[in-house]
Amino acid sequence: MKVDIGPVTRLEGHLSIHTTVENNIITEAKSVGEMFRGFEVILRGRDPLDAQQITQRICGVCPYAHAIASSYAQENAYNLDVPPNGRILHNLIQGPNHLYDYLLHFYQLSALDFVDVTAILGYQGSDSDLTALRDWVKVEVASKSPFPAAPFLPRLSGKYLSDSEVNIGALKHYIESLEIQKKANKASAIFGGRFPHATAIFPGGCTQEPTIDHIASYRSLILEVKDFIHQKYIPDILAVAAEFPEYWNIGQSKGGFMSFGLMPFGPQLDSKRLFAPGVLFGDKISPVDFDAIKEDVKYSKYSSPSGLKIKEGELTPSPHKSEAYSWVKAPRYQGKMLEVGPAARVMVDYLQNHNPKIKQLVDKFAGIADIGVGNLNSVLGRHLCRAISAVVIADFLLEETERIDINGPHMAQYDLPKSGVGFGVTEASRGALLHYVNIENYKIKKYECVVPTTWNCSPKDDNDQPGALESALVGTKVENPEEQIESNRIVHSFDPCLACAVH
Amino acid sequence: MINRREFLKLAACLSASFGLSNFPTIVNAALKKIDPKTIPRLIYLQGQSCTGCSISLLQAESPNAVSMITQYSKLSFHADLSATSGKQALNLIEEYISGRAGEYFLAVEGAIPWGMPEACVIGNKPFGDYLTAAARTMSGAIAIGTCASHGGIPAAEGNLTDAVSLKEFYKRKKIDPLLIDIPGCPVHPDWVWKTIIHLVQVGLPELTNGQPKSFFNRKVHELCPRYHDFQQEIFAEKLGDKGCLFKLGCLGPDTYADCPTRWWNGGQTWCIGANAPCIGCASPQFAAKKIFPFYRAFEQAASGSSEENK
Repeated sequence: MKVDIGPVTRLEGHLSIHTTVENNIITEAKSVGEMFRGFEVILRGRDPLDAQQITQRICGVCPYAHAIASSYAQENAYNLDVPPNGRILHNLIQGPNHLYDYLLHFYQLSALDFVDVTAILGYQGSDSDLTALRDWVKVEVASKSPFPAAPFLPRLSGKYLSDSEVNIGALKHYIESLEIQKKANKASAIFGGRFPHATAIFPGGCTQEPTIDHIASYRSLILEVKDFIHQKYIPDILAVAAEFPEYWNIGQSKGGFMSFGLMPFGPQLDSKRLFAPGVLFGDKISPVDFDAIKEDVKYSKYSSPSGLKIKEGELTPSPHKSEAYSWVKAPRYQGKMLEVGPAARVMVDYLQNHNPKIKQLVDKFAGIADIGVGNLNSVLGRHLCRAISAVVIADFLLEETERIDINGPHMAQYDLPKSGVGFGVTEASRGALLHYVNIENYKIKKYECVVPTTWNCSPKDDNDQPGALESALVGTKVENPEEQIESNRIVHSFDPCLACAVH
Repeated sequence: MINRREFLKLAACLSASFGLSNFPTIVNAALKKIDPKTIPRLIYLQGQSCTGCSISLLQAESPNAVSMITQYSKLSFHADLSATSGKQALNLIEEYISGRAGEYFLAVEGAIPWGMPEACVIGNKPFGDYLTAAARTMSGAIAIGTCASHGGIPAAEGNLTDAVSLKEFYKRKKIDPLLIDIPGCPVHPDWVWKTIIHLVQVGLPELTNGQPKSFFNRKVHELCPRYHDFQQEIFAEKLGDKGCLFKLGCLGPDTYADCPTRWWNGGQTWCIGANAPCIGCASPQFAAKKIFPFYRAFEQAASGSSEENK
């Protein structure tokens, strides 16, 4: 039977999944991106310095990652000499965006796949948040109004956590996390100017000065977020894992993995990074080669040629193209499919023995959950790798504040060239993000973005190889083929962002 | 310790000295007590959007987002927060839009691809079809953010989908619903949530150019704490400098919004406070034309810095 499970909610944007289910097993899955704007065309002919502003509007969930990738690409194109503070401030702006995003993803976007909201009705304690929530749900349900207790109900049928204490704890943290994510965003906004859509980020630094006033507030906010990560976020993931251990083996993508590496230690873009870059196929890791990336469009709604390299990218929409089922393109590396995101980021670093803290955390949690590194490629693995990333990033941000020279410059001096080309790559919270800019006569001639969810939610490529999410869904057993809570859990584990994917 | 009698006397003096003696009566007349049965249900739909406005709404401080969606409104559907999904979600939306589930306000984030309806689809149906159907049943609509209010970046010069704002969409459909525009890229959470509180407790707020007057009545430049620098001709010459940012291309003089007095992220920061020129994100012209870059005087900035080096 054919079942469309879209619109899939609790993710960014417009995603449907067209599934074929036989005997309760998914035999085919098509990932369908349903919204298109055409940023790469809108950018043509504009001033290059507009790009780190315009590209933030690709995605309001991870705008800072786009601002950073665009700034890197422009630094590369301008041959900018970036002061050490400039790079540190970029990191201080980008890092908390990961922290907020991981918390938002686990609590607001994913938790309701596992946590039983109705457990709140049995709450006997005196916590004011929880009694207020309980009384609100009671009034809602008694009111006989249509769809009571929305947006928390209705929900899909399936098994939810059975331990009422775990459920109620997670609901409390759902509410608390909404306060904590604001603190992470306040921290990055100190230097970014505001969140979302920072105005103070530029190639070569940030316009806000790093004063003691700012740094002290920043550190205090990050410490609060760090505390929540350790005290609440990680225990909640482990509690979900304890009752749903099968999800260490469900939702495995069937290709390679790639990370562009996150947060350089020095002003140069090729400085060693906190998370190492690399491409992983099987157990072999190689350096990233941007030239090995091509974007196929056989099943994407574009009439522009298929299989173009980044520098040659084109975009001609063709909404009625036969066979095409998605607005997302299908990027491939050496013709092969791969997954990007937290699991890729952590595995690529771990297998290179690069960051000792990552190795220690992976080994610790693998021991607790009794899993191998290979199980990071799974629903629970992706959740765990976000938490590992959160721990490593929070510590790094605190260290980074100590490296600021408060008397040093915080912005590069510009002497913008008439022409130039540049690549900028970083890790958005959702994975490997690439921007490419080609400047001619002081204007943008071509701008290309290859974005994490473009990889993860891609349709089939020219050789009919499925995308990462599609491959992770095939073979999944679903209790209720009409609703597929299992598929929703798999989709959510990738944290898709469709505004990013199509842009 | 002050006793009750002294307190009342003091309170009466204070009221008189502030000219507020009638304050409680006025408040009672104007502010309705919140009746949980009548708070508006919101059906929040996203078109050509980046979700930045939704994320901004979660940054609300007082009241916070949880209070807003439980005490002051009911968020009947939002794709980012709703537990429901798939057909169940489509059914919920359909029950409201058909009028069967009672009164509701429509909240729209994002532009509408007028020239290419396939460029935004929810459940195999073009986004615009939901808007047309909802116009017959909704109490009113709130355009959230610059894309929904003015078209924004999806509608910028050279776009391929002929993206339009909600107001333009309804105009072309010859529909004239009650519509409130709340621009900003992203929107400030207070602008939306406090408009909703106004709707709940007082009724429709006073509008100027279709936007709530209390937030969009003055230009950023008029309210700017660096207006003094402007008058004294203390200008930032290059990015990262303090002073008035006018020469770097600051669009505060062309943008109606109360950012200089409200600030962002819990009142802690804002663009100009971080030495970043206002890019006019709440303006109808935001990012509209290629010939008007955000930093239109950056060549001056570059020459300013080279002068310094001489």
